Amino acid sequence: MRSFNIIICLLIFLGVIHGCKKNDTSRYEVKSTTSYGDNLNKNKAKSNIEYHSILSTNLFQKPSSVNELTRLDRVIQSCGDKSLINEVIISNYMNSTQVRLPSRKMMTDSTDRFIEETYVRFFIRRPTEAERTWFKNFINSNKSNPNFTPELVYTAFAASDEYFFY
Amino acid sequence: MKRRDFVKKTAALATGSLVLPYLLPTGRLFARSNDPKAEHVVYVIFGGGLRQQDSILQRYLADSQGFNVEGNILYNMLEGAPPSSKIAYGTTPSGLPNGSQPIPKILSQSIQKQGTIFAEMRAISGGHYGGLNSLVTGSRVEGQGLKVRPINPTIFEYARRFGGFKATDVWFIGNTISNSTPLLNSSRHPDFGLQYGANFFAPGITFGADGRNTLSNAKIYHPQEELEPMYKMKNFLDNSFNIRQGDIPGIKNTDEEKTRIKEFIDNTFQRQTAGLIPMPPVNSGDGTTIGYAAEVLRVFKPKLLVVNMSNIDGCHSNFTGYLQAMHKADHALGFLWNYIQTQIPEMSGKTIMTFVPECGRNLNHNPILDENDWYGYDHGDFNSLRVFGGMVGKNVPSNLMIGSESNPIGKVTDFSLTIADILGFKDEVKNAGLLDPQALSLFDRI
Repeated sequence: MRSFNIIICLLIFLGVIHGCKKNDTSRYEVKSTTSYGDNLNKNKAKSNIEYHSILSTNLFQKPSSVNELTRLDRVIQSCGDKSLINEVIISNYMNSTQVRLPSRKMMTDSTDRFIEETYVRFFIRRPTEAERTWFKNFINSNKSNPNFTPELVYTAFAASDEYFFY
Repeated sequence: MKRRDFVKKTAALATGSLVLPYLLPTGRLFARSNDPKAEHVVYVIFGGGLRQQDSILQRYLADSQGFNVEGNILYNMLEGAPPSSKIAYGTTPSGLPNGSQPIPKILSQSIQKQGTIFAEMRAISGGHYGGLNSLVTGSRVEGQGLKVRPINPTIFEYARRFGGFKATDVWFIGNTISNSTPLLNSSRHPDFGLQYGANFFAPGITFGADGRNTLSNAKIYHPQEELEPMYKMKNFLDNSFNIRQGDIPGIKNTDEEKTRIKEFIDNTFQRQTAGLIPMPPVNSGDGTTIGYAAEVLRVFKPKLLVVNMSNIDGCHSNFTGYLQAMHKADHALGFLWNYIQTQIPEMSGKTIMTFVPECGRNLNHNPILDENDWYGYDHGDFNSLRVFGGMVGKNVPSNLMIGSESNPIGKVTDFSLTIADILGFKDEVKNAGLLDPQALSLFDRI
């Protein structure tokens, strides 16, 4: 009986020793990075108030008041072409001295960065290679047009269909 | 080529060019199904309910308040002498009793003399949204919920699809953004919908204090140097996203049309500041709505413009105010017709104006008394389905009264088909099969 107990204790001891073996940690040299979505799943339309709350925060770096958003909502409802009236409202925003935009120099000198940041800022996603190339070419081809500014790029993004959805 | 072959081929070519459909510049496949009767239509809706007894039957207070005073307070529209006592339907000059000064007549000849009046028609619904819905769709509206677009296509969509008109050719000017009014510029019918919808403004908001604070500081961009590249980028982004047609709420204008409307909005604020918006001499509420409708007509010369008024609905609680609103609505109607004829040469003599109340009002009063101790009237009973309507302008018979109290002729659902008839696509609208089956063009009722 005694030798039986010794054998049982020995087996438990061996089991514990074996069970406490340290796991191997695999390392794959992967860099951590922020992930962004794509535009495939954006299928919910923003309400007028959501749209302008996000847009004004985006452009002015501060939220609009509830009164202002309610007024905007009424004005948008009073016009049949929502995209048109939003463009008019955006151009009102752009006429404000408080709007914060990147410089034209930044857009033309660091075009890649400008495109990337604009996509992330408005669409919460990176541009595809095709989008990046198109915008790069477009900005370069408009370098000689002094009226072509980041304001126009921001207006196009803010008025785009994708910005209406989340 | 032999003579016989030449004749044969020429005959075949001539027959083919007559018979085969062709793509018109507007995008239409077929030519219009009937000859247009006029080039433009202006459709005025007296939203809110106009009681037959107080309006066309000219009984003033006799059939409503128990006073034996009759008379016509719609003298731009109808023939008939105004009331001679208990004058409360006019404006209120300082120091004088409420409503004691009637508004001078604008038209030298009444609409009745110039056109055709349907004295006793039938409305589809005695309620608000249903009433307006039936007026713009020409269909019966059973089962139609509130706060949704109409189930059946509106006259705007018929006009754009079958008439081949662009968005700025077709307008709806609403008096308000409540009561689902902004949803009436297009239906949610799968074969029509927003892609054929009308441009819409509710001027009290768009060009009122809210609109001025929100829209009047807009930048006007250079069309080639700024707008063109901006729209190129936007169109690229939209093509990359590529949502389904109709997912974006609201109708769509082309880039050129958008630029025109933006200029219109900007100019309107400037003209408003300068006091240049064409307003009826007595204006407020409905009068202002009509003034902005006139401004849209002046600038865009649309093929179809529908304008809705609603101040008469105050009759629920203020009969005196209702009489005044009715009188002002007649004044506004007279102003609009006069403005089209005298100030818009492109539309003068080429336009038909039609008009109809959304519904009537009840036979019996409610218990609410106003300052004159006159009772209010709601709408919803059989009497509120009694309405009158009319039309005036090119090709409309003049000085003609159709129907009477004992002989009702016409339904409010006739107006959509009448507009289709005027603009030349009556058969297409009829064949779409979505109208009230009993609807007829008012021209066919004459």
